Amino acid sequence: MSPGRPARILAVWCPDWPEETADRQDARAFEPVVAAVTGFCPVVEVVRPGLCVLNARGPARYFGGEEALASKIVAAVAARGVGGHVGVADGQFAAALAARAAAPDHAAMVVPLGGTRAFLAPYPVHILAAPAPAGLTSSWLALAGQLVRLGIRTVGDFAALPSRDVASRFGAAGSAAQRIARGAEGRRPATGTVPADLSVSMEFDPPVPAEPVVFAAKNLADQLLAGLAARGLSCVRIRVEVTPAPDPARFGSAAPDRAAPDRTTARLWRHDGLLSALAIAQRVRWQLDGTQASAGQEGQGDREADGTTAAEGGIARLRLVPDQLIRAEGQQLALWGDDLVRDRVERAAVRLQAMLGHESVTHPMLAGGRGPGDRVVLVPFGDVREARRPAGRPWPAGIPPPAPATVYPAPIPARVIDASGAPVTVSGRAVVSASPDALAVEAGGAGGAGRTGGTSGAGPWLAITAWAGPWPVTERWWDSGQASRRARFQLVTGDGIGWLAAVEQSRWQIEARYD
Amino acid sequence: MLEQSSQVKWPFNEGSANLARAVAGLAAGNAVFPAATDTAVLSSAEMLPVLPALAGLLPGGGLGRGSVVAVEQPGLLGLALLAEASAAGGWCGVAGVPDLGVVAAAGMRAEASRLMLVPEPGPNWAQVVASMLEACEVVLVRPPEPPSAPVRRRLEGVLRRGGGVLIAAGAWDGAPVRLRVTQRSWAGIGDGYGRLRGCRAEVVAEGRGAAARPRRQWLWLPGPDGSVTVDETAAARSAAPAWATGGVDPQAGAALAQLTPALAGVAQ
Repeated sequence: MSPGRPARILAVWCPDWPEETADRQDARAFEPVVAAVTGFCPVVEVVRPGLCVLNARGPARYFGGEEALASKIVAAVAARGVGGHVGVADGQFAAALAARAAAPDHAAMVVPLGGTRAFLAPYPVHILAAPAPAGLTSSWLALAGQLVRLGIRTVGDFAALPSRDVASRFGAAGSAAQRIARGAEGRRPATGTVPADLSVSMEFDPPVPAEPVVFAAKNLADQLLAGLAARGLSCVRIRVEVTPAPDPARFGSAAPDRAAPDRTTARLWRHDGLLSALAIAQRVRWQLDGTQASAGQEGQGDREADGTTAAEGGIARLRLVPDQLIRAEGQQLALWGDDLVRDRVERAAVRLQAMLGHESVTHPMLAGGRGPGDRVVLVPFGDVREARRPAGRPWPAGIPPPAPATVYPAPIPARVIDASGAPVTVSGRAVVSASPDALAVEAGGAGGAGRTGGTSGAGPWLAITAWAGPWPVTERWWDSGQASRRARFQLVTGDGIGWLAAVEQSRWQIEARYD
Repeated sequence: MLEQSSQVKWPFNEGSANLARAVAGLAAGNAVFPAATDTAVLSSAEMLPVLPALAGLLPGGGLGRGSVVAVEQPGLLGLALLAEASAAGGWCGVAGVPDLGVVAAAGMRAEASRLMLVPEPGPNWAQVVASMLEACEVVLVRPPEPPSAPVRRRLEGVLRRGGGVLIAAGAWDGAPVRLRVTQRSWAGIGDGYGRLRGCRAEVVAEGRGAAARPRRQWLWLPGPDGSVTVDETAAARSAAPAWATGGVDPQAGAALAQLTPALAGVAQ
């Protein structure tokens, strides 16, 4: 469209929707109107529920002129049982105003090409605050207030001001408002529609236990995926809402629906266009298992009296809602390579996480640090985290390589004695009391065959054949919660095993094992 | 190439072996397909690569796909077994080893970002391992209890189908290969001076079939830089060196001279 030709915009305004209380429900209800208008032009911008605009130039040529198009749209909207008015003008703001001006006497009003400035001229200047961009309404209102105080009361007066003076006095916002006042609004309607309600749900009457619900979930998921596919959409996540049956013993049978609070449990599951209907049904099962387990635990105390649980009450409703609709671009699996492998690994990880819990399946991230345990951060699979202590920085007084093959998550208490049997101590000046002679590691973590159960006690005495240290480390002394002051040793026992030991406050601990 | 690829099922759910075989077959038959993708490195259909130092201990010079390798403990030897497969682009899983030394594994070129860890698999550990085997080329597991015969059979079936390798720490009856460290001695550390620099360890591989005759190898496990290499000096020495019973390796004496005398002074 050339700059010289003003946009011809057609606005459909329905007075049934109040301007202030637009919400999603209104958007859904407005959908039939949009659908009717879409029959004339596929590109319809819904400004808000109750008002939509389209570019009139093309459809007007096809339907035999703007008046004809306007009356056809009014008839089509009326056929849906909604009262609507149509205005056509140069620019969206003027068109919406024309639609309002048409009501209630006429169904449609067409401002002729180039007549928009004259049409707008008698309106009070305050009306210019209405087309302000989102968030700027107050500043445009202030602009209108200034104009009124300057004696410019109508849009026509404002339009007549020299545009250079308006720009220098009121800036960009003033210029934009004046362009609108002159009927030269630059903005074109944006494409896109209010997304239809693609959620699917199923009521169970009478309520059913979990197993049939999972069965039904497969069908529901099929419907959901078909609905998405028909629109060429995919979704990032799926929200599964499970509504248990109202508890008749608790709420009485008179008005269970009214009295029962909403006990729907909803959980979001990652989808990314990857899940099959079966996989969605599986997630429904996981969610049911999870909610029943928690309901059983929580409800034990107060439900013992009536002897029922949520699981026994059954499930009354299952709803699958696609969350974050995106355009489906297809999932092209890589031919051979990292993507396919990664995908396979992620599926296995998700399965394991469903079995054991999210935190139980991890992948390690190398980090920086002095202690052996500081150098690895275990991140739950699927999470992305930044290392708080990045690797690759110098960590003076760190443990020199080679790294130990066994690093205990929590240090294991130990005892170290010298040749006379007295405990070996390290003074504040890092002086060892005597040469360490024998090491006893508390059983449970360092036994020969790994974990030997929950029993803890002193293990056998192992002769120390070589040792080195102490290497004092004082870390995070500025933070009383994390401060540590310890002296590390490396010990070798008679069986050839190396130990990384630390003394902190005269207590020996084994931090890691070289085996 | 066509017949090869027609034999190969599309490997969406078939596990890694088929994928690797598909890549191997196609790459061998048609040079157009790039052989340098991650998985193609693991293209050998029957063997997963191991560190060169360990190749001499294992029948076939690698980890046989679908087999179990038993080690005494999940320590450095267990990590060394999976390091090369990980470096070559494979995913490795570790179950039941909360005290895994990831840094040590990384020191042997294992890729930490391709490790999947389940530190506490719980009583259902066999199911966990089976799930991990579907995704990972190599899984190292320390079972919480000695596995019963049905559990072993089930997991061995999963292995045969998927083509992964299970490294079992602890007892695993009927494992074709069992590796254990018979002797080890640390170099670089003395009576109050030095530090742990490297460990000479004799590793013995025993088993059934091809591995029935025990093989012995002296290794640096680990060497001074964390890697695992064959200890060349051991062959030249007598069968039972004096230092092997523990204590300071006299050969490390030269290294000791470089060590920080200040610390040694503090210790005294």
